[in-house]
Amino acid sequence: MSLLKDFTKGLWKENPVLVLVLGTCPTLAVTSSATNGLGMGLATTFVLVCSNVVISIIAGIVPKKIRIPVYIVVIATFVTIIDLLMKAYSPPELYNALGIFISLIVVNCIVLGRAEAFASKNNPVRSFLDGLGMGLGFTLTLTMTGIIREFLSTGSMFEVKVITGWTVDFLLPSSAPGAFIIVGVLLAGMNYLNLRRAVKQGKVYVPPQGMDCRHCHICDFGDKAGGQD
Amino acid sequence: MKLKETENTVVLGIFLAVIGLIAALALAFISQLTAAPIAAAEQNATNQALQKVLPPFDNQPSANTITVKDPDGREVIFYGALRDGKLVGFAGKGSNPQGYAGAIEGLVGLEADGAVRTVLITRQSETPGLGTVVCDRKEVKTIFTLFKPSDKKEGAVPANRILDQFAGRKAAETPWRVSKDGGEFEFQTGATVTSRAVTALVWSIARAFEQNRAAVEAALGGNK
Repeated sequence: MSLLKDFTKGLWKENPVLVLVLGTCPTLAVTSSATNGLGMGLATTFVLVCSNVVISIIAGIVPKKIRIPVYIVVIATFVTIIDLLMKAYSPPELYNALGIFISLIVVNCIVLGRAEAFASKNNPVRSFLDGLGMGLGFTLTLTMTGIIREFLSTGSMFEVKVITGWTVDFLLPSSAPGAFIIVGVLLAGMNYLNLRRAVKQGKVYVPPQGMDCRHCHICDFGDKAGGQD
Repeated sequence: MKLKETENTVVLGIFLAVIGLIAALALAFISQLTAAPIAAAEQNATNQALQKVLPPFDNQPSANTITVKDPDGREVIFYGALRDGKLVGFAGKGSNPQGYAGAIEGLVGLEADGAVRTVLITRQSETPGLGTVVCDRKEVKTIFTLFKPSDKKEGAVPANRILDQFAGRKAAETPWRVSKDGGEFEFQTGATVTSRAVTALVWSIARAFEQNRAAVEAALGGNK
């Protein structure tokens, strides 16, 4: 039961983009079309799953003082692997469209965040499921954002025109400001749903903890400011 | 003292070095494994682009190349297409740094007499919806045509209003400019910079061919 929860929490309850608000850079930058969002999400999922498993295995012997550099080396290795694999086997248009953002998965907060907050404290099986769930939650959000942006801007989905006769592109949704607006609306909608659900159950909605500054110890900012709650 | 709690700088350094070494070995292995597929994929992309811009050929244009300078000193790679041992066309690959967002790379197919045949933009990072209208040759798929067999002719490329107007032109004709600058080429409203860059790119490749014609023909001519 708890294993299932490790997997499903990333999809909704602790969705990395819409609840934890991590990894917003690729979310805004590459989701101009549904295909790009899906490709980026799957690449990140691969890195997240692999790094989570490896880090949960080696976490027991990594000296505390240098754990962050070690995690970054592990993550960077898997990012380079997916970069090479995509260069060799993915459609060239997809690789060109994602471009630099594949390499930038290294600095994606979701990957390091899950390594520090989950994988380093849990066994490989749970870390694998956590990585898979978080990755798929990320992929779903990116693909959904991509579908909305692509549809609003060109009337197509996955590069197939759904509304024929939509010949002039609408530029706002496919540009960065439009991405901000759309992701903002999605965030608001997610918060509204969660709040309403909590109210119906007669509870107070508390966002998941563990990734805000009071609970994360990647830097010492939270330790300095913390304790006062 | 346990490794996990150690603060000995030397031990920490060695640990990090070992991790780095393992990562480097893993990457070297993967890099070697993917080297051949990556080269094949790049080759494939070049070949597909060449097939689109050149008349039917029976040699390997990607292996039949010469690099020359265009009038502005930038490098242009010419590919020669042969059929039955005769030159039937050329493709020039060059780039122009004056796009709206960085360089624009293009492949221009030329007839044997130097007239432009087909223009293909191979790399760009222009504004989606404006600059890309100038650069993209994309087939518009709709839900109605999705499951129909395509009735596309062999070697045909999807139309593009801007790129298609260069077909049949020769470098020697009047300066190539967009109509806003007093030339005779149409431009895309909202993407004047991109239109200018693409026009300049095609012209520079055509001129590079015209200026180095003898050398290019001699190098790519095959067995006459």
